[in-house]
Amino acid sequence: MATTPVPGAAPVRASRMNPWVLAAGLAVVVPLLAILVLNLGRDPHSVRSPLIGRPAPAFSLPPVGGGAPISLESLRGRPVVINFWATWCVPCFEEHAALTAAARTFREAQFLGVVYEDEELKTQAFLAERGSSYPSLMDADGRTAIAFGVFGVPETFFIDGSGRIVEKYVGPMDRRTIAELIARAKGGAP
Amino acid sequence: MKRLAFALLVLVALPPLAAAQVSRAPAAPAGGIGAPRSQPLSGAELDARTNDIGALLRCPVCQGLSVADSPSSMARNMKTEVRDKLAAGYDQEQILASFERSYGEFVRLDPPMRGVNWLVWLGPLAGLVAGGAAVAWALKRSSRNAAAEATDPASAPSDLPSRDTLPADARLAGAVRRARELAYGWPDGIPPKPRSSAS
Amino acid sequence: MIPALGRTLILLALLAASGGALVGFATGARPTALGWLWARRLAYAFAAFMALANVVMEYALLSHDFSVSYVAHVGSRSVPTWVSMVSLWSSLEGSILFWGLVMGVYVAVATWQNRDKHPEYMPYAVGVWLACGAFFSFLLAGPAQPFATVPSPAMDGPGPNALLQNHYLMVIHPPFLYSGYVGMTIPFGLACAALLVGRLGHDFIRPLRNFLLLPWIFLTVAIVLGGWWAYEVLGWGGYWAWDPVENASFLPWLTATAALHSALLVERKGVLKGWTVTLVIGTYLLTILGTFMTRSGVFNSVHSFTQSAIGPTILLFLAAALIFSVVLLTLRVDTLVPDGTLETGPSRDAVFLVQNLLFVLFTFTVLLGTVFPLVVEAARGVQMSVGRPYFDRMSVPIGVALLFVMGVGPALPWGRATGQQVRSALLPPLLTAAAFAIVGLALEVRNSWTLLALFFGGFTAQVTISEILLPVRQRMRAHGEGFLEAFGQARRRGQRRFGAYIVHAGALLAIVAIGVSSTMGTSKEIQLRQGESTTLGAYALTFVNAERVSEPHRQSARARMDISKNGRPIGSLYPSMNQYESQREPIGTPAVRTSLTEDLYLSIHNIDVDARSVGLLVLVNPMVGWIWIATAIMALGGLVALVPSWRGASVSVAAREPIVAASPEGSG
Repeated sequence: MATTPVPGAAPVRASRMNPWVLAAGLAVVVPLLAILVLNLGRDPHSVRSPLIGRPAPAFSLPPVGGGAPISLESLRGRPVVINFWATWCVPCFEEHAALTAAARTFREAQFLGVVYEDEELKTQAFLAERGSSYPSLMDADGRTAIAFGVFGVPETFFIDGSGRIVEKYVGPMDRRTIAELIARAKGGAP
Repeated sequence: MKRLAFALLVLVALPPLAAAQVSRAPAAPAGGIGAPRSQPLSGAELDARTNDIGALLRCPVCQGLSVADSPSSMARNMKTEVRDKLAAGYDQEQILASFERSYGEFVRLDPPMRGVNWLVWLGPLAGLVAGGAAVAWALKRSSRNAAAEATDPASAPSDLPSRDTLPADARLAGAVRRARELAYGWPDGIPPKPRSSAS
Repeated sequence: MIPALGRTLILLALLAASGGALVGFATGARPTALGWLWARRLAYAFAAFMALANVVMEYALLSHDFSVSYVAHVGSRSVPTWVSMVSLWSSLEGSILFWGLVMGVYVAVATWQNRDKHPEYMPYAVGVWLACGAFFSFLLAGPAQPFATVPSPAMDGPGPNALLQNHYLMVIHPPFLYSGYVGMTIPFGLACAALLVGRLGHDFIRPLRNFLLLPWIFLTVAIVLGGWWAYEVLGWGGYWAWDPVENASFLPWLTATAALHSALLVERKGVLKGWTVTLVIGTYLLTILGTFMTRSGVFNSVHSFTQSAIGPTILLFLAAALIFSVVLLTLRVDTLVPDGTLETGPSRDAVFLVQNLLFVLFTFTVLLGTVFPLVVEAARGVQMSVGRPYFDRMSVPIGVALLFVMGVGPALPWGRATGQQVRSALLPPLLTAAAFAIVGLALEVRNSWTLLALFFGGFTAQVTISEILLPVRQRMRAHGEGFLEAFGQARRRGQRRFGAYIVHAGALLAIVAIGVSSTMGTSKEIQLRQGESTTLGAYALTFVNAERVSEPHRQSARARMDISKNGRPIGSLYPSMNQYESQREPIGTPAVRTSLTEDLYLSIHNIDVDARSVGLLVLVNPMVGWIWIATAIMALGGLVALVPSWRGASVSVAAREPIVAASPEGSG
């Protein structure tokens, strides 16, 4: 690189490669870029459930409007679909019709709703207005939601006849997805 | 100087080492978490431990907040669960494992020591050691260079003032530097080092 | 019309920047007066076009022109005017436009100030700056286009994120942050110029240092403003959560601080040139990494803008900048030949190296922790978190070590010191240190790290104050001046040094305050009905009533809490819960009563106006107010150190101090 020459000036040093700088630079740059590139496109907000393939947590919850508690244990032998929902959740409105219809169609499976962070009166009013074909249970202290690793609503768990969680679906469901996942849950029954 | 460096090294290295002893963690058990392994707690100690463990759990519906800090109802429910388990006599690792069974490793704010997680604890320690070595090497090389300069016959002429010393007056200093630049060819009027090593 | 005008301005900025970059590099390789003239003109043109584009966007926001895509995104007729104004930087594309404005201003100022100085360096520097400017213009012209035309504009828009409307800090935090962040581009260009030219002369370290210090001041204030915002707005009672985006602003601050210190050694002794240049380049690369972290959606953060297409584009720029920097350093760092040597024995030089090491270690640790979840995901396919407990545990010892080094360094003389000198330098502050620790013990501090912080805080406080007063005392003795006159004279002759020690005083205050506030606080969660009281520490709080407050953009439920301390009533606090139309969860606004010793902090968890009950989180946080004061002191010290150098004052060359009794007159 040129500089104005001064009489008797020391010559500008010719550049040579500094191997240490190169090594250090590569040691930093390559892993950093690799990690960032590999993670592009992943959504950090969707966390995969560790419960898939494992026994579903046991619970015994009272239905909305009162009555004897229903326990998961008592439903062994049939596939169970557990849908966590709430009246304040807009996508839950959307999937309510699909779930209600599916519960009537797939009579071999037991559908259950679990109400997440909501009030009993509001839930009753909602169900009275919209109708339902399966019981919804009140999870008053949120323990069951925690045990199932619920992040928000709607989340739906598909459990096979032996009590193992086959799949967890996050977001509103449509009829085709429900059918697919019930088939998978049935496939695992003893 | 060496003692100072050693003291700092120990100071900075302590916490990761301590952490390594404390939170070595097996994978969350697939079955239950087993029977309570510790004494049931109550009163102020129960509150304090609930807060401690709450600070180690990530609130799943918030962004990065711990269960102890988050006001959301999910976090409060989780905190109640921690409290109940402590009152029943479960210990910290069991409680953390029970949440890990439901939510995955994601819910632990303190990375448990297993597998590749060791890197995050040992990395800074390794950095400290490597950095300390680099500083020691730089100082050693500096003393070697100083020794070489003392015996180097090509160093700055001894009848001139030291290269760092210039008059305080700005214009005079500028003139001296320009004169040196013209007379000796030193860029900026500051003599370059005869060796070609980088600083 | 407005969208087309905006797009045109951005395109012109892109052309000016690209052209200017090419001209700059060409002129650097073959210096000509005409080349330098055109490089300058294109730099000014870039700045002007960016500024105009921002003016156009502000006009569109304030006139609610929903045919502009960005306004349709964040504009709203129902928000206050100031919210409309600050919406410029509230969301993704607008914030990049604002980035362009700040960059344009910095480039214009830096170019103009050096238009007839450092002729062999400046064209290269302008070339690098405009290359960076070209990238951001490209982002605005393509992936992050704020001026796209909306085919059928709506009558109204959703308004910016509700959280951003909650507090006036939204007005000042982003401008400060960008002035700090974006400002790091300037020293980056200067450092690259030094490498390309193959020399880092005494004259050129000066603008490099000045343009490092100016953004540093902004960044320091911005980081703490962010903490203050989290404290006053978010309601969880803390000010720093080691969120990835918070870390993104902290990382370049650490390397910039290290660079400022090692630049001092370059200026004084002509050593560590290559290292300083590396730190400066690293600072800029961390700002680009930081902007990637914030905008790519890859990191789990409360602050991140939603995931968008610009992530991969920024990553490409980051990769290019990383490769360019590594190649440049590999080939050219050896040309930066040192003019002196480091002192090896116990001396300030050696402590400088240790301090640099600590800053770099801190940077590495925070970066590792932030990036680690991505590493594990790639390696094990498992999602995990590295959260506050980890970062707190790692940063506490490093912070305390820095506090210690900040005291030991200035206590030791520059040259090689004898054992006797070391002892006499370090012993007196140890007494002050012990005094501080004893006071801490008396005030019931039991956490060993906090006690250590108090101990070293006392040590460093004594050293800092005596270093500030040293030239004053010497003048009083040598010239017989009175204290005030000696102080004024000493300050004028050694203003940079004076400013530096003020910054140190602020930093030590901040570290001690952070230590005390993190470990000595008390808290309580309680549910209260109307008329009920509770106590925490010396405070008694009574829930008097709850009322609804209606504002055009939100509905609030506000609780009135009457406070008394040690039996005496001291007023009322009004924490509230705000419901915005666009959010499901209401957002709480805490109420904080700050005093010099402690903060009383109230945050609502749940409130029922009709049932007259409120669920509260009550915190007593000691010494938090001192953190904000300490930051102001640091910023003030930075300004004091910056101002005389800016005016190009007398060439203050580091006089080589005799081994006995350092004479600091005229030194930086």
